[in-house]
Amino acid sequence: MTALPLRVPRLILRSAGYEMRKRIQFRTGFFVREVLFGTVEPLIMLFVYGALYASAGGGDVVLGGWTFDEILRYVAGLLVVRKLIFHNRGIELSTEIFEGRVTKYLVMPLRYFTLLQGRFLQYTLLQVVIAGLVWAAGYGLVGDRWLVPVSPTAACQALVLVLMGSYCCFLLYFVINALAFWLDVVWSLLVMSWFLVNFTGGGAVPVSQMPEGLQRIFCALFPYWTITAPIELVMGRLETADFQRGVVVLALWLLALECLRRLVWQRGLARYVGAGM
Amino acid sequence: MSTGEPGADEVVLAARRVGKVFKTFERAPGVLGVLRNFVARKEIEVAALADIDLVIRRGETVGLIGANGAGKTTLVKILTGIVPASSGEARLLGRDSFQLTDEEKRRLALVMGQKSQLWWDLPPIDSFQLLREIYSIPEECFRERVAAFTRMLDVEDRLKIQLRQLSLGQRMKMEIIGAFLHDPEVVFLDEPTIGLDLVSRETIRGFLVKLAEERGVTFVLTSHDLEDIEETCRRIVVLDSGRVAFDGDLDGLSRRVSGQRAVEVHVDPGAQLDEARLAEVLRQHGGEVGSRAADAVTILVPAEGIRGLMPALFDALPVRDLSVERQPLEHLVREIYSSSERSGAALPRSDEVEST
Ligand SMILES: Nc1ncnc2c1ncn2[C@@H]1O[C@H](COP(=O)(O)OP(=O)(O)OP(=O)(O)O)[C@@H](O)[C@H]1O
Ligand SMILES: [Mg+2]
Repeated sequence: MTALPLRVPRLILRSAGYEMRKRIQFRTGFFVREVLFGTVEPLIMLFVYGALYASAGGGDVVLGGWTFDEILRYVAGLLVVRKLIFHNRGIELSTEIFEGRVTKYLVMPLRYFTLLQGRFLQYTLLQVVIAGLVWAAGYGLVGDRWLVPVSPTAACQALVLVLMGSYCCFLLYFVINALAFWLDVVWSLLVMSWFLVNFTGGGAVPVSQMPEGLQRIFCALFPYWTITAPIELVMGRLETADFQRGVVVLALWLLALECLRRLVWQRGLARYVGAGM
Repeated sequence: MSTGEPGADEVVLAARRVGKVFKTFERAPGVLGVLRNFVARKEIEVAALADIDLVIRRGETVGLIGANGAGKTTLVKILTGIVPASSGEARLLGRDSFQLTDEEKRRLALVMGQKSQLWWDLPPIDSFQLLREIYSIPEECFRERVAAFTRMLDVEDRLKIQLRQLSLGQRMKMEIIGAFLHDPEVVFLDEPTIGLDLVSRETIRGFLVKLAEERGVTFVLTSHDLEDIEETCRRIVVLDSGRVAFDGDLDGLSRRVSGQRAVEVHVDPGAQLDEARLAEVLRQHGGEVGSRAADAVTILVPAEGIRGLMPALFDALPVRDLSVERQPLEHLVREIYSSSERSGAALPRSDEVEST
């Protein structure tokens, strides 16, 4: 019997549908988790930056290549981009490993990862809608002071980078979650990794405002191309050549993380004990 | 395909000297214990299985029994490729169990009494749809099977209710339906009847027997309920402390079992037993004391001795209550083990193989 060639995409779709239903089941929880999540940090940033620029003389002061107006629009961009990036609460793989919930998939003719890809797809579709709404709401409130893309092309390029980066995050979280085959402190590693991704990506300070040395290092990592770079593309501070470079860097990271994922999963399964059965 | 001609003699499953050792760390209790563990953890090895040899052919129905912790679940996990064996080799459908491809997995099913195969937040019918997708079951077959199986198990009206809202028995029936939807050749059932009432158990047994007969499904069933095994399996494998203590035809075994009865006698609390008289009565009717509790004695006696034993017991003891049962599983397992030809001692206890 040969498997239908479309079986895997269909499975991903079906699993995405299932996840979607699960996710929008509880309205209040949905609102708090998906809409409000990630709004606190940008607010703090605004407050800190406001004080910083004011003490530096206010007005048109330029700090590290950024004016206060640009920072405002950067923060607006962060609000939207954060919505799009896959978050580790999207995979509960480590709990599933601890509690032996992975067992059932191991006897089925499919890769467990396929189902998680369905989850990623569902997450992304929904988040694109939410991010669009957040952007529109902001624009409605403050008009042109909000982040307005310099061109539709720039917006599309930014979206491509963010989604590729989001998939990198997904793979990274998968790998860390899979460490549950060895460790029982995966949760704190996940929190740390989220912090690292956020910081090296420019979630607290735009990478291009950081010291030269750090910039050079961070530009080689995927978070920069997921957070700072797309926002700067939309603002017009980066151009198509930068976008192309970003695609290459992200593609290399995707490849590396995918290899790592396979390795960790294979090795991990050999240590699986299928608890609770 | 990796398997040979499908035929009655085809070996579906073969285990050769399979052993399994779990490695864990000892966790001492209390704050001090945690600190001590942090500085120097002690690794313990738990030997769960040793030298398991087993060959199962197409169409066989095998009951796997043994006391708690005997290694039944571990053996099922190894045979289905969920965990790797530590030593030896397990093959399912012609391939190393731990390396099964989708091709073999499509022909396999597993039902776990303790864990759900279906999706917890979905009504069974949606789970079945997902399974249809996963196993590429043709729409026509799918509808037929769902209809037939739900009718056989009497859960037709429960298909659209969320799984978590079903009763244990209804859920278990759905699990079994889910496992048989893709028409598997080999099915493993680990305690599928745990916690179910008599009627449900009987329905499930009937279902299994029917599928084994009609479709020639090979299955391996574990249960602590000897009746489950007797009514569904033709072959029985007894595990004791990780070793095969008995492997053979059920008929022979049930003759031995059905020849024995366990009489549980409850006496008035605090009553003084006339031990001499009890011993005398037992000697006359060929019985022996199986076990004792504070106010109860269990007597094992051949079935033919029971008629004479009963009145004598009432005479000899201050009987408050009394029940007669077939020989309970534990006695049987113990007896089989002590009389098994295997001379090797049971596996060493976990605390005897410590290593640091
Ligand atoms: N992950 C694990 N780590 C350490 N020891 C384990 C692990 N899983 C099982 N064991 C041990 O292996 C032995 C066999 O366990 P198993 O679950 O196979 O027993 P079982 O025959 O299924 O028992 P039951 O009838 O209670 O279900 C037990 O002593 C158990 O403590
Ligand atoms: Mg068990």
